[in-house]
Amino acid sequence: MTDQPSAPRRGHRMLAAAAGLGVLGLPLAAPAPSPSPSASPLPAPPTGPDRGTVLYQQSCASCHGQRGEGTQRGPSLADVGPASVDFQLSTGRMPLSKEGKPNVHQDAVFSESDIRALVQHVASFPPGGGPPIPVVGGGSTPSGRELYLTYCSACHSAAGVGATLNNGRIAPSLFEATPTQIGEAVRVGPGLMPAFPPDVLSDEEVDDVAAYVGVLQDDRGELDRGGWPLGRLGPFTEGVVAWVFGLTIVLLLARRLGSRAR
Amino acid sequence: MSGTGPMSGQTGAVRRIRFAFAVTVLGAVGFAVSYGLGGNTQLLGLSLAVAFAGLAYGLAVWGRRLLPTGGFVEQKPELAASPQQRDLLAAATDGPESPLQRRGLVGMLLLGVGAIGVALLFPLRSLLSFRKPDPVTMLRHTAWEAGVRMVTPEGEPVRLTDIQAGTIQIVVPEGHTRDGDAPAFVVRLNPALLDRRPAAGDLGGVVAYSLLCTHAGCPVGLYEQTTGRMLCPCHQSAFDLYRDADPIAGPAARPLPGLPIDVDEAGFLRARGPFTAPPGAGFWSRP
Amino acid sequence: MITRRIYRALDARLGTTSIGRTALAKVFPDHWTFMFGEIALYAFMALLLTGTYLTLFFEPSTSETVYDGAYQPLDGSKVSSAFASTVALSFDVRAGLLIRQAHHWAALLFVAAIVVHMLRVFFTGAFRRPRELNWVVGVTMLALALLNGFTGYSMPDDLLSGTGLRIIYSTVLSIPVVGSWIATLAFGGEFPTPETTPRLYISHVLIVPGIFLALISVHLLMIIRQKHSQFPGPGRREHNVVGSRLWPAYAVRSVSLLTGVFAVVFALGGLVQINPVWIYGPFHPAKATSPAQPDWYVAWGDGALRLFPPIEFHVFGHLVPAPFLPAVGVGTVTFLLLYAWPWLERWRTGDKASHQILQRPRESPGRVAVGAYALTFFAVLLVTAADDIIARLTRIPVTGLLRTLQILVLVLPFVVAAVAFFTARALRAGTATSLGELTREDLHAGLSGRSIDRRPDDEPEERIRLWRNPDDTWRWRWYGPGEELSSNEAFLDRQEALDAAKTAFPGVRVEQDEPPEGVVLPPPQHKPGPATKAAAALVWVAMAVLGRRADRRTPSRSEASE
Repeated sequence: MTDQPSAPRRGHRMLAAAAGLGVLGLPLAAPAPSPSPSASPLPAPPTGPDRGTVLYQQSCASCHGQRGEGTQRGPSLADVGPASVDFQLSTGRMPLSKEGKPNVHQDAVFSESDIRALVQHVASFPPGGGPPIPVVGGGSTPSGRELYLTYCSACHSAAGVGATLNNGRIAPSLFEATPTQIGEAVRVGPGLMPAFPPDVLSDEEVDDVAAYVGVLQDDRGELDRGGWPLGRLGPFTEGVVAWVFGLTIVLLLARRLGSRAR
Repeated sequence: MSGTGPMSGQTGAVRRIRFAFAVTVLGAVGFAVSYGLGGNTQLLGLSLAVAFAGLAYGLAVWGRRLLPTGGFVEQKPELAASPQQRDLLAAATDGPESPLQRRGLVGMLLLGVGAIGVALLFPLRSLLSFRKPDPVTMLRHTAWEAGVRMVTPEGEPVRLTDIQAGTIQIVVPEGHTRDGDAPAFVVRLNPALLDRRPAAGDLGGVVAYSLLCTHAGCPVGLYEQTTGRMLCPCHQSAFDLYRDADPIAGPAARPLPGLPIDVDEAGFLRARGPFTAPPGAGFWSRP
Repeated sequence: MITRRIYRALDARLGTTSIGRTALAKVFPDHWTFMFGEIALYAFMALLLTGTYLTLFFEPSTSETVYDGAYQPLDGSKVSSAFASTVALSFDVRAGLLIRQAHHWAALLFVAAIVVHMLRVFFTGAFRRPRELNWVVGVTMLALALLNGFTGYSMPDDLLSGTGLRIIYSTVLSIPVVGSWIATLAFGGEFPTPETTPRLYISHVLIVPGIFLALISVHLLMIIRQKHSQFPGPGRREHNVVGSRLWPAYAVRSVSLLTGVFAVVFALGGLVQINPVWIYGPFHPAKATSPAQPDWYVAWGDGALRLFPPIEFHVFGHLVPAPFLPAVGVGTVTFLLLYAWPWLERWRTGDKASHQILQRPRESPGRVAVGAYALTFFAVLLVTAADDIIARLTRIPVTGLLRTLQILVLVLPFVVAAVAFFTARALRAGTATSLGELTREDLHAGLSGRSIDRRPDDEPEERIRLWRNPDDTWRWRWYGPGEELSSNEAFLDRQEALDAAKTAFPGVRVEQDEPPEGVVLPPPQHKPGPATKAAAALVWVAMAVLGRRADRRTPSRSEASE
């Protein structure tokens, strides 16, 4: 995911937004999730053990402090855990391109190996702890569907498109999330999202949820079997289509029928 | 119009109509074939739409090019009858032999019919089973009472230790997982930040509230763990859990009712009593 | 000919010929806006056909069952029969999804067509006497269409529709005094109950469609009895209808429209996904999905619920909950105003006359203003119902957006109404036929309310010719400036034809070819007084002279009878 910028998707989005119909954008299938290469145990970064330290000093220390103790500009990283660091970096939420800019899912700045090096470096800060990077995969979709509707759909929508929260913040769509990122988000609770520790959602249940999100991402085009999904935004967009395409075409026909041929 | 002469422009129109109806046949065949091949929704819809569109186009050309349009007038006589005719009708309905002349009997008849009508309204009461309590009692009462164990919607009991900071657990009363008025949620707040003490009390920052929005009863499922706010997906009301679930945005006017909680020897969460107020949308007899 | 023999048998038993002749010759005005109601009718036919198919597979029950089918994430799950059978219709019944989606799209189109039809009737004053009753029937059908749309949306027992049902339940609950009784009686207890789905079902497939069919019949019968209204134009009078006949021109065009509606319904049904309940999942009272919207035609109610400030108050110690004023209040006031509008307008203008000629919207600027107000008001409500989606896509905070919309709903309708009012007055004052042709003078006249003097139209030169066909039937034709109109049917005797012509064009002189021996003028209907007799004599002489002169001028026309 991280090394696939998925340009056609963004192009499509811009096109749709330009047409003022961004709501109708197709949720294109996310590229097939790779089998979580960032899962532990972490192999050593290819460019030497100091790679993580160097990258941290370059990109993170100015806000999070030399040893992750945090500054006025950024929170402490001392006990966030590898899952949180990997989630923030692999979804491109960190590093912030500009301070104050909302951190949203975008292309990762670092390569996979760099992320691994950074995760390892941050994990070395005392006192450490925090959720490890989960190994996610191979869940059951029926169980995942039920869990998703209990724990996730209120914010991320039953269709996975996300929803609006307070103050312009949103629960993001899940169409680009990899299983590992889903597992990390469930355990960490990034941003406004609640965290779900293993007492609430077991590892198997997280696997199931990730499997069902895979269904929602609709890689094989089987979920939206009804046709153009209208961004899966529900009755509002359906109403727009009913007026703009449906009734308008019929009215044009009536207009034609009601006029004499010349 | 071009079709004034019998031949002018008509051959072209006829050719177009014939073509359109041929498209209809193709569409119908396509529909049957797609059905036979497994019934792909898009192919079925497209072929059927093409078939109908062929008819629509062909008939439109036929109607506009080959048939006379306009140029006719139909008279529209006055509908009202002459006073004389109306008098005749009145005489026929209300004449000397008319049953309507016996005003007393007619009055009794209307009374009788009305009585039947009113009597027949009574069975409508059966729409609400007599085995159920009256509406107001139902609306005020939920399955939560002292000692009822809290379980997840899937039926798993919930421990106090499951409720860690930053997480949320939706709970229902054990044995009443599908009750519409009972869903609640449990979260752990930072006790030091509470602006207002929860009316239903807390267990070291762990609080429980009704999940149902006090505006229109939707489940307020969106939890912002860093701000301690619950949002309603239906009409965007927001409730501040640090102020005892007071509404702070949107159309909801009342706070979420709290649920007093307790923990038993096994560590499971139980209710210590009913909600502090009837949950969900308001009603006339709400205390 | 076998068809002729069958028809003869039918006619011998039922006497269908004269009705048939009149029906085929019925004249429809040639204006495309007269087809809006037909679009609704054909969408309704699509609904009946697809809906009947759906009933063969849908199980209206919330009893628990195990879904066993092609949708893998639900396979083996315990869900309600209603939900399982809807998913089965979408995944396991071949062509089921097409029919299901076509049904839903047809419903959206149906209500849209009703609304557009109602707007045409409203803005042209077609609801005025003698059509007030049909307006009332039409408003009732709109209400029933909304109701049936909502029950259909609610039946599959999915998470989205369950949420909608919960909101309606809460709205009914908010009615003072009787709300809790009505809500629990209708739902069979406190929401959700197992009784709900079967009740929605019988109402959706039998009760409401049955009433609807009856009302459609009444609606159409009234149109047939009263005949169509029409826009002003050459030859258009209060006592005639000008246009095309049912057979063949209008029938062919109508069937074209019917098939066009079906084409759109099935194209949308096959190509655009609607209400994917398998994604929303089964209803559970503790679960939620976001964004949550109803179908567009009830979304104004949802928008009002979102827009209304958090106000609840007590009356005699009893609570009036927040949903009452926006949802129950706005809906009730809207429909009461719709029902009362013909009488409200009559009371305001004092116009009690019967009208067969429609107005152009500009002729009644006040009505245009009211309509523009209502349209804008409901448009803002519809947009508000999607405020979370708009906030999601634009990243504008939803509270700020809501505040903006709260101001807009109060201000914008007045602004639009005022603009519409003055535009209509400017159009009425001048000679512009469209907005682009408005002159500065027109606009000024529109603002000041002063009318620009226009020369009254000259009395048109017009006459009617009556003739006998070779098959001894009679027809007539009206000649006016730039327009000729033929009688819509052939008459069996001369008197009938003459009566029809005199009804359609009272006071227009009638010429005739080949006057039959001895009879030239119709006998007077009432015993004529001396003055009438004198006038009749004059007319008689004039017509005889003119008729003969016309004979000499143009060789007698023979027109083939139909």
